[in-house]
Amino acid sequence: MLKILLDRKEPCSDEVRQRQNFNEILAAHNYQQKVNNPWRYWFYPVLAVCLLLLV
Amino acid sequence: MPLQLSLQQQSFLLEEERTQIERAQQDPRFFAPLYERYHEAIFRYVYRRVDEEEQAYDITSCVFVKALQALHKYEYRGLPFSAWLFRIAKSELYQSFRDQKAQRTVSIDKVVLKQVIEDWTEDYTEEDKARLLVALKGLKEQQLQLIEMRFFEKRSFKEIGEICGLSENNAKVKTFRAVLKLKDFFQQKE
Repeated sequence: MLKILLDRKEPCSDEVRQRQNFNEILAAHNYQQKVNNPWRYWFYPVLAVCLLLLV
Repeated sequence: MPLQLSLQQQSFLLEEERTQIERAQQDPRFFAPLYERYHEAIFRYVYRRVDEEEQAYDITSCVFVKALQALHKYEYRGLPFSAWLFRIAKSELYQSFRDQKAQRTVSIDKVVLKQVIEDWTEDYTEEDKARLLVALKGLKEQQLQLIEMRFFEKRSFKEIGEICGLSENNAKVKTFRAVLKLKDFFQQKE
């Protein structure tokens, strides 16, 4: 069902800028990357541990 | 001469943007200037289409996270970067409507509504306003989108085409048809 709002008040630019910032977006992106590609983050630490164990 | 300068400036900005995109494709931290440039426009696009402010913020966040995830696939083929972001925003919005997380909303200024009605009738009355609102609800989604962007957001046909994946001419023709349909609904209910 379509809702029509007349003369709706929009938040001002400062309010929009203060509510969201790029660091939050970047953190969400990094988290998503970890979830989607866990091997990328675990490969080198696991390799280092294996090498240490071998030595 | 001023036009030439402005064209030069435009091409400089475009070039600068392309460099920023390439840098961001290598490292997402460099996406910051692009985010700063387009965040507000995307937020307002979303805000006018959902009924709750919080949802608008949530959807805007999702748009930029998706953009960062898909950035490596972005290639400049004549489509401005802003249009690419608006397309992601559009797809996120419709996903929210499908998931029933947000309600499809149209935000209209009364002044604009009055202008549209005055093009069709001699006198603007409260009854006409109510009739136009009912007529808007009778439009198909794509027709509503075109009317919304052209008349309520004052976008150019070029921009509308880029957001909707249409050529400029096609956007013009489809908007014209949508206006005829709206006028038809408006007059039917007289």
